[in-house]
Amino acid sequence: MPKIIQYRDKCIGCGICFELQPELWRMSRKDGKAVLLKAAAKKLTHVLQVTAQQYEEARAVSEACPVRVIKLG
Amino acid sequence: MDVELLSPAGSFEAMQAAINAGANAIYFGVEQLNMRSRSSGGFIIDDIAEISVRCHAAGLRCYITLNTVMYEYDMQLLQGILKAVKEHGVDAVIASDFAVIESCTRMGIPLHISTQANVSNLESVQFYARFADTIVLARELTLKQIASICSEIKRRKIVGPSGEIVKIEVFIHGALCMAISGKCYLSLHSQNASANRGACVQNCRRPYKVVDTESGNELLVDNEYIMSPQDLCTIPILDEILQSGVAVLKIEGRSKGADYVHTVTTCYREAITAIEQGRFTPGLIADWMQRLSTVYNRGFWEGYYLGREIGQWTKTPGSIATEKKIYAGKGTKYYPKIQVGEFIIEKGSLQEGDVLLLTGNAFGMEKILFDQVLVNGEKQIKALKGDKITFPFAHKISATDKLYKLLPATDA
Ligand code: SF4
Repeated sequence: MPKIIQYRDKCIGCGICFELQPELWRMSRKDGKAVLLKAAAKKLTHVLQVTAQQYEEARAVSEACPVRVIKLG
Repeated sequence: MDVELLSPAGSFEAMQAAINAGANAIYFGVEQLNMRSRSSGGFIIDDIAEISVRCHAAGLRCYITLNTVMYEYDMQLLQGILKAVKEHGVDAVIASDFAVIESCTRMGIPLHISTQANVSNLESVQFYARFADTIVLARELTLKQIASICSEIKRRKIVGPSGEIVKIEVFIHGALCMAISGKCYLSLHSQNASANRGACVQNCRRPYKVVDTESGNELLVDNEYIMSPQDLCTIPILDEILQSGVAVLKIEGRSKGADYVHTVTTCYREAITAIEQGRFTPGLIADWMQRLSTVYNRGFWEGYYLGREIGQWTKTPGSIATEKKIYAGKGTKYYPKIQVGEFIIEKGSLQEGDVLLLTGNAFGMEKILFDQVLVNGEKQIKALKGDKITFPFAHKISATDKLYKLLPATDA
């Protein structure tokens, strides 16, 4: 299964992931960083299994993240 | 003269270096709401207490930068940070967004207006004086404009919320931006990385070619780095800057290391003292310039202060510092009774005559000579990977402390 991975501690809360893929992302009102919805968190690494289509869409998101903390796996 | 020398602190090491080197105050950022959020190893909210305690114990003031663009979802984090700022007595918040200005005013937290607010005239100063006691001017003003703003503030008795005459702060050293302060969108357009959110990817620091899209011909540009300004260095004109009536002198560089902060702060501290004592000579200036050029720089110019219209551009992508530091190892132990520190060599080798640079949380930056160390307990002429070196040292050493070898930049 394709995966999206977010290394959350380095997120600077720019909000572009949420703009591009609102289906999977939210901006946390608690700490101002992006939340990968329903992802499993291991310490600061958040991982979500996604469909092939979501995975394709996430390519652009991964590239758009200014601090490159969104990876595809 | 009681001008304040304000140094950057992107880490505890840099903060300690600023304290040791004679800064009057430091500024720092936490979490992602500051203009250096991209730089690694930043402070978190929980560090605010220690920063405040250590600075105040050393007689310095500390200011926190909260000067990015703020979004709706940032408000809770902002409030959390401001709560800690209030609780731990951070001396002021450096802000440009009105959400921050409004919250600080409500909470009774002193404010400084950031250069990001691009204050370039007296009317703006008067406006912001309702909220802030210190205002950082835009970096593009000339000394004449600055002096006129300062003298008008005094003449019109423009006071801040504290009732004191508003203080003007200017940048005296460090990187300049190709755009007007706070108004660059290049990084945002090219890579979605907003500079005003602390994520600048520094497009301006790269070389560019100009291509005619019709013919495909490339135009030759004299200097490919058409957008990359050299770094600001005002030591040669520091006396004029002081005469202009500014109250705070700021050094840029929260992404720089302890050695940088130490060297730059020391030079400017010495220069301020020399001016106060009436012995600000060309010889001394040459010496400071030489020392400043040993640490990170893209070549120096005196910025827009003397009324130049076009900036001076760099000729290389990175630093032209005359010295470079090469990582050699890390701290392993400290023997407090005999005051001896121990580092392990992890990379390369050290030998007789080498100058070693140590950086650490407790002491900032220190330099020692290889000739002062013992290698695995004995006097030797060389130390290799895996060897442990020990030497008398007055400060605690921890595992995050680093050891570098200093070399002239030409010896790759
Ligand atoms: S794009 Fe990257 S930095 Fe921006 S909010 Fe999303 S994860 Fe954070």
